[in-house]
Amino acid sequence: MRWRAEKHTPFLLLSPAILTILFVVAIPLAFSLYTSMTPYKLTKPDTINTFVGLRNYVRLFSDDKFWWAFGRTILFLAVALNLEFILGLGIALLINRITWGQRTLRTMMMFPMMFSPILVGFQFKYIFNDNIGILNNALQALGITDGSIAWLVDKPLGMISIITAEVWMSTSVFAILLLAGLFAMPRDPLEAAKVDGCNPWQVFRHITLPFLMPFAFIAMTIRSLDVARAYDIVDVMTGGGPAGRTEVLWTLIARVGYDNSKMGEANAMAYVSTLLSVAFTYYFFTKLVAARRYMGGAE
Amino acid sequence: MSGALKKRLSKIATWIATFLLMIVMGVPGLWVVLSAFRPNREIMAKPAIWIPENPTFSNFAAIFGFGDAQVAIPVLSYFTNSMIIASTSTVIALMIGMSGGYAFARFRFRFKNSLFLGLMLSRAVPGIALSLPVFMIWSKLGLIDAKLGMIIVYVALNVPFTIWLIDGFFRQIPKEMNEAAQVDGCTRWQAFWRIEFPLARSGIAAAGVFAFLTSWNEYALASQLTRSTDSKTLPVGLMDFTAQFTIDWAGMCAMAVIIIVPALILTFLVQKHLIAGLTFGGVKG
Amino acid sequence: MKHTTLKLLAATALVPIGLTAPALAGDFDGYTLRVKLIGGAQYEPLYAEIEKWEAETGATVDILSRKNHFELDREIKQDIAAGTLDWCVGSNHTSFAPQYGNIYRDLNELLDPAVLAEFQPLALENSTVDGRLVQLPRHSDISNLYYQKSLYEDEDNKAAFLAEYGYELAPPDTWDQVKDQALFFANPPDFYGTQYVGKDEAITGRFYEMLVANGGALFDEDWNPTFNSPEGVMTVQWFKDLYDAGAVPAGVMNYLWDDTGAGFASGTVALNLDWAGWAAYFNDPDASQVAGNVGLVRAPKGAAGIRSGWSGSHTFSITESCDNPEAAASFITFLTDHDRQMVEARTGLLPTRQSVWDAVKAEFLAEGNEFQAMVSETYAQSMAEDAFTPPLIEPWIEVSNEIWPALQAAILGEKSIQDALDDAAEAAGEIMEDAGYRN
Repeated sequence: MRWRAEKHTPFLLLSPAILTILFVVAIPLAFSLYTSMTPYKLTKPDTINTFVGLRNYVRLFSDDKFWWAFGRTILFLAVALNLEFILGLGIALLINRITWGQRTLRTMMMFPMMFSPILVGFQFKYIFNDNIGILNNALQALGITDGSIAWLVDKPLGMISIITAEVWMSTSVFAILLLAGLFAMPRDPLEAAKVDGCNPWQVFRHITLPFLMPFAFIAMTIRSLDVARAYDIVDVMTGGGPAGRTEVLWTLIARVGYDNSKMGEANAMAYVSTLLSVAFTYYFFTKLVAARRYMGGAE
Repeated sequence: MSGALKKRLSKIATWIATFLLMIVMGVPGLWVVLSAFRPNREIMAKPAIWIPENPTFSNFAAIFGFGDAQVAIPVLSYFTNSMIIASTSTVIALMIGMSGGYAFARFRFRFKNSLFLGLMLSRAVPGIALSLPVFMIWSKLGLIDAKLGMIIVYVALNVPFTIWLIDGFFRQIPKEMNEAAQVDGCTRWQAFWRIEFPLARSGIAAAGVFAFLTSWNEYALASQLTRSTDSKTLPVGLMDFTAQFTIDWAGMCAMAVIIIVPALILTFLVQKHLIAGLTFGGVKG
Repeated sequence: MKHTTLKLLAATALVPIGLTAPALAGDFDGYTLRVKLIGGAQYEPLYAEIEKWEAETGATVDILSRKNHFELDREIKQDIAAGTLDWCVGSNHTSFAPQYGNIYRDLNELLDPAVLAEFQPLALENSTVDGRLVQLPRHSDISNLYYQKSLYEDEDNKAAFLAEYGYELAPPDTWDQVKDQALFFANPPDFYGTQYVGKDEAITGRFYEMLVANGGALFDEDWNPTFNSPEGVMTVQWFKDLYDAGAVPAGVMNYLWDDTGAGFASGTVALNLDWAGWAAYFNDPDASQVAGNVGLVRAPKGAAGIRSGWSGSHTFSITESCDNPEAAASFITFLTDHDRQMVEARTGLLPTRQSVWDAVKAEFLAEGNEFQAMVSETYAQSMAEDAFTPPLIEPWIEVSNEIWPALQAAILGEKSIQDALDDAAEAAGEIMEDAGYRN
């Protein structure tokens, strides 16, 4: 293996990637770490020079609103990701069974991926409008309800509506990855199990699902990587309201940082939120690595 | 009923069920597309008007500045900007991803695992935490309201995932193939392009689609870093339909169609590669 | 506070410094003026006029950005933070202006006093922050009460209302009457008595104007929050009663202006307090189901006999860092002159020059557009007599961000009204302290 000797080659090959990330993510992140230790106010640029240490963080720890938003964000992530997984799995299993016209169905399946998150926000804001929204109009026309349901206001419904929009937008990602997994699935174990007299559920439970799990973890990792995209949706649909019922970290941070101009405080929140995302991603990533080992693919 | 017939019937039933499911799933999206061809008055009516009474192209005409519309939306510049930014950043991200993925797949080196993880985690930083610092650095460098500024950001956004997918793909390809080619007198560089690259094509295509869609639809960062027709992208242009007191939803839907159609065509074209790419790229790394 | 600003205005007007003469052809040949303007359909017709200024002066206008106000606000804050105020003219708003500190010039020193004298004094006073005229009002806004005329002409309605409430059914003059009539007309989910916006600065503003109408105030003279007073509770009670009775759409707590506008235009709402810009839309058969059936009265009075009159102006400001303030001054003077304001007034926006009010009304009458003439008349009255702005303090938006979630919590019943207002008052007090208004 002569190329293994080339000690610097991998770093040379990786340097563009490392430089880009350094430039766009690491340096800005260091900057925002610093500002999170100042009383930095956007409209008063001089405030960036006052160093207050961990004061913003200490304040956060006693801030109920922040912790509610924190908890709600975790709830949002957990519910949305699991729902997306289950629905995506169902869709992938169905499409996998189809031989004719599959390409068209697959494109249809990926349709929601073409929608920009900001558009999804507006779209569901109108769908869920209590007075002129198509959902309530349909429910009333079908005689399912004679009232007007305040989808974006009532306590559990607000979160449910937002999660619906998020799930609609992102289930495709799961479906496409799980479908890829089903395609890669070897036929032999399936046939063997059938010969052994396993019923379809047992086959699914003990053969298909374990094989698919790595794909599920990939999807989870990808999704948890850019789940903050949901900010656009929440911001347009409810802006975190009413009375903070749908407030998640991202809406809180944006309001404190830009509307109230308190960037120092906002960046402290952003740092905690970054740690949360990193933790989620790291968790799925280790799961993924474990699943890969199990599959025998790892080095 | 014979077994064959039964099997056939169940197949058809599955097909219809799946098709219906896809339609249901598509409804919220189709509603947007249909709304693009209706006047606001009809979309916002109560009781709802289910069957379009006045199908119209006037929303599109308004965007392009025909008809009695007061203002044209500079949709052509937005479209051009989006195209340039999304495709350039995709191509660059793929090149960086190939070079990085190759390094991870073919070399052993110190800090390999932590470097890999670090690259992945960089993507987990929420845009809202980056937006202000990036803005301030960009403004010092004159990258605000410039396509180049957006391209750099999107490359960084897409590099982690492309590296990952492409890394998995290169691992699929036995090292021996490259070595054999070198024995046959190719340089390593030639061997890469003749042997490994063609085999990894699907993975690269899959990574490309994901990268393109991410850049094409991104809003949060673009809304901070772009300002005028020099760099504003289509999703940012959607906000042109909102004013302090009003939202022109029908117009927004028409614009949405303009955003969706190219993405849909691209996805349809690379379908085959997409599935194949994901199948092998992701898992067996 | 009002008196001091007026005095300051008078004082500065007497000692003009560095005045610009009206621009002459070729004055600014080859100069490129960099501007940031608010975008959106209702603002664009004015921008079509910019060519004329360019032709007149030889300058070129480079529009750096054109966004809605909230995005523009964010962009300007970023510019302050990054030190990139490398432009001359920016759209501004009376509610936002106090936040920006000293980035904008005092126009009293830059504009001809004769020009300023043609503006309505109240509009200029509301554009003044800490004695500095930081913005030139382009058009103003205030809300009045729209209603569906047919409901009030219906004999059955009249009889039933008289029997139930003991007075004649007529377009309301007080907020109590609005409540009675809203409850009377409401038939959810098909028809609603009235509606209000439920979030952001929008509901803070609505609360604030009714608080004033009811005799309350947001702050006392020393900037101590006082909106948790009995008047404050009474005001929130009004919102809550209508919400609890289902007299407003169930989703109002998530409504903004587009929702209330669309709701009234859909013909499912009886009474709607709304801005001037909507009048033409409501009466447009292509856009609205209530066209031809739209009535308008001045905003109702509260318990203190004061009419609610939350008002603001869209304005233009010139940066301190501007390299050619004369060109900038000429530009904003042009955009707010008589002819330019006529362009906006014809579309239903409210001018800031007295002469335009008269001219546009005359024009509507001459065209036989009695509806718009009536609208113009009503809004002219309320701008002249009822208009007041939110406190022009630097942390206004921040204070508002404490008030509106509290209002929502109270209306939705998560907290008692008193508790919600007390909590918000405490938070607002801290903000005022941090901002140095209160010690």
